[in-house]
Amino acid sequence: MMLVTLLVVSFLTFLLTSLLKGDPAVVILGPEGAKDPNAVAAVREDLHLDDPLPVRYLNWLGDAATGDLGRSYRTGQEVTDAIAERLPVTLEVGVLAIVLALATAIPLGTFSAFRAGGVADRIITGTSFGLLAVPSFMMAILLIWILAETLGWLPATGWVRLTDDPVENLRTAIMPALALAIGEFAVYTRLLRADMITTLQQDSITMARAKGIPTRRILFRHALRPSSFSLMTVVGLQVGAIIGGAVIVETLFALPGIGRLLVDSILQRDLIMVQGVALVIAISFVLINFVVDLLYTALDPRIRHGRTAAV
Amino acid sequence: MGLESTRRPRALVRLLWGLAALGLIATGCGGGDDDESGGDGEATGAESEISEQGDPVTGGSITVGIEAETNSWLPGNGSFSNAGTNVAFAIYDPLMRRGDDGEMHPYLAESIEPNAELTEWTLKLRPDVTFHDGTPLNAQALKTVFDDYLKAPGTNTAGGLADVTMEIVDELTVVYVMPNPNSGWPDQLGLAVGWPFSPTAAAAAGADAGSQPVGTGPFVFDSWERDSRLVLKKNPNYWQEGLPYLDEIVFRPIPDEDTRISSLSSGDIDVLQTLRQSSGVRVRDLEGVDSYEQLGNTTGVNIFNTTVPPLDDVRVREALALAVDQEQIIEIQGGAGVVPTSSQIFNEEDPYYSEAVNDAWVTYDPDAARELLDEYINDPERSDGKAAGEPVTFRYDCPPDPSLVDMSQLYQSFWGEIGAEVELRQVEQATHISEAIGGEYEAKCFRAGLDRDPLPTLNDAFSEDSSINFTRFTDPSIEENLDALGASNDVEERKAIVEEISMTVNENFPMTYHGSTLAVLGTQEAVKNLDGWTFPDGAEGNGISGATTMWAFVWTTE
Repeated sequence: MMLVTLLVVSFLTFLLTSLLKGDPAVVILGPEGAKDPNAVAAVREDLHLDDPLPVRYLNWLGDAATGDLGRSYRTGQEVTDAIAERLPVTLEVGVLAIVLALATAIPLGTFSAFRAGGVADRIITGTSFGLLAVPSFMMAILLIWILAETLGWLPATGWVRLTDDPVENLRTAIMPALALAIGEFAVYTRLLRADMITTLQQDSITMARAKGIPTRRILFRHALRPSSFSLMTVVGLQVGAIIGGAVIVETLFALPGIGRLLVDSILQRDLIMVQGVALVIAISFVLINFVVDLLYTALDPRIRHGRTAAV
Repeated sequence: MGLESTRRPRALVRLLWGLAALGLIATGCGGGDDDESGGDGEATGAESEISEQGDPVTGGSITVGIEAETNSWLPGNGSFSNAGTNVAFAIYDPLMRRGDDGEMHPYLAESIEPNAELTEWTLKLRPDVTFHDGTPLNAQALKTVFDDYLKAPGTNTAGGLADVTMEIVDELTVVYVMPNPNSGWPDQLGLAVGWPFSPTAAAAAGADAGSQPVGTGPFVFDSWERDSRLVLKKNPNYWQEGLPYLDEIVFRPIPDEDTRISSLSSGDIDVLQTLRQSSGVRVRDLEGVDSYEQLGNTTGVNIFNTTVPPLDDVRVREALALAVDQEQIIEIQGGAGVVPTSSQIFNEEDPYYSEAVNDAWVTYDPDAARELLDEYINDPERSDGKAAGEPVTFRYDCPPDPSLVDMSQLYQSFWGEIGAEVELRQVEQATHISEAIGGEYEAKCFRAGLDRDPLPTLNDAFSEDSSINFTRFTDPSIEENLDALGASNDVEERKAIVEEISMTVNENFPMTYHGSTLAVLGTQEAVKNLDGWTFPDGAEGNGISGATTMWAFVWTTE
């Protein structure tokens, strides 16, 4: 099934990029270079742009199957090298965003459900509603203004690799991650709160209370696990949103990530690069959701036991 | 300075004031006065505000925030925008560059002389110049670069050099030979074609030559992380004695205008490059920042496809020109009070600017515009084949940049006022350029001109042989004048020819104008001498043309 998904994604990407207006040969050569029709024809021939679409796709697929995603005509860089350079940046920011979002959403969502209808619940719910309405680029601009321009605590833009300087790496990663995390936090908090309220009304929780088990233990040991399945599903699905947000956030914070590579490659008609990046994003998305499915099995005894019983 | 942020004094107080200001803006956005948006609207032009420069200081490192990344650093393969050119002038030395007098002067070259017919240009190199890899810059190196790289099929320089050949005269002398007189050739040598790189290093690097540049410039390539940072170190063997002053330059592409300005304001970067009027105005207001400004010969224009009805009729094009208040167009782009109106490709400070052309250019007159358009609309023989009385319709394309979207809507409004129905379409840059080259458009926003000699600029824009004559406007008198311009090396004669061409163009309205580009370099006060570079013979350079500079001459006091 995963393979079929990836084939469909790669074909659709190929189809869509080929429908884009604007001759890649002209973009590569620029107006000055495109003065010469022979030069344009030479680049088109080099890129096999005049071949039928299915032929181009099958050629690309054949190479991709052997791990060769081609070489960017625009930069001369191997597509796999470009992706290997950029992916860690996007991954780190994305993972940090999810960790930050979960680290705040789990306690606040749980507390909000426990105090449902109370002042704290209303504040948390209202705040998450408000944050949901703020797009990540607005949040990024606001964070830069407060944390970099006004307070001078963090650099406004730029990236230092983890291997070069871990502390500076965190300083450059934290603001982009926050910009992405705040929207995610709002989604996670609201989702967990709703599921947790339902869980807290179940007989098993009433029984635990009757037994005198401490509230914290009831919330985080007995109620959190059954309340977290929707959250897990959404975390998996939100990877797409994180990648979408990364496109904007990486441009704003000047990060050398995969989102910026994708946008630049689309704008510059670097089709071979677009195709490679889209494939990698599709693989990541499919893999993450596959992992989420595995986690269901690990966390939910009903699924585990149901499967055992069926066998 | 790198990524170290500078702690600002009384930061919390500033934050509180800022938050309070946000509240005021939020509640007061329906009113307020216009004092900050350009005053009385009279353009002041470029106004540099620079702190005391002092004496040069050796050592130190600066970080420069530029607009965009460059795909490759190898001339011929790299698409060198203003941002890329800025970087290139740290790695490479141009053979020629434009001076303060508007003329091209030898820089890396020692001299250049044409023959009487201007069909051969003899260039002599300076002795004892070496590339960063230690190999010598000589005639053979120049020829290898010319033949094997710049003229190679698929490069972006091959088209322009198709008819040009190079011959070696002696160890340090070459001759460029071309079939027709070309007085603009020295100008070409200020561009990527004239940035010598080591053919030995390029051959060794093969496909990776674009990511490991080896030139003769004041700084040597150290490392490059695409879209993040390019690090250059001082060239200890630089041919200009005592230069460069800096030990290191880091170039960081920061594409977003707002965050680039924030990076300068917070101290993340030491120098900022921008070509946006609105950004230039904001840089002026930053505390502790010097602002270097220069108006360029790149002018915002609308191009009309003169082969497509109804824009094939000069009455329609003139009506569209008359219908627009250029000052309002400039204001909506944030350039009010800074960028003056335009009437030609060349700006007021350029030697080829013509007062006569300016006087002859139309001014805002919606009544005259309406009358002219009505004449076309009611013409039973009108070119678009519609019945007399039916409105004129056409499509206007512009890239989806917020300020350009605002500008497009204002144009639509102006043209709507005189009865033209205009459909707006947002197109990304790649499509925009391809359509312009292919003639698949009716009207587009564009930029015309470069800080170059008028011959290539006007030849590209209006010659019938040019494949980037986007407007498709041609005229026999322009062809004659272009030939005459190519064959003349006399400045006064050339000025007269350029004036005639500009007059012919403006009488036929293939394009309308909306202000020159404002080039800005904003720097921390510690960074000095961005506009003070000179030629080896002591002649003054042309400052920060195109928001670029010669980095060898820049120093920092920190």
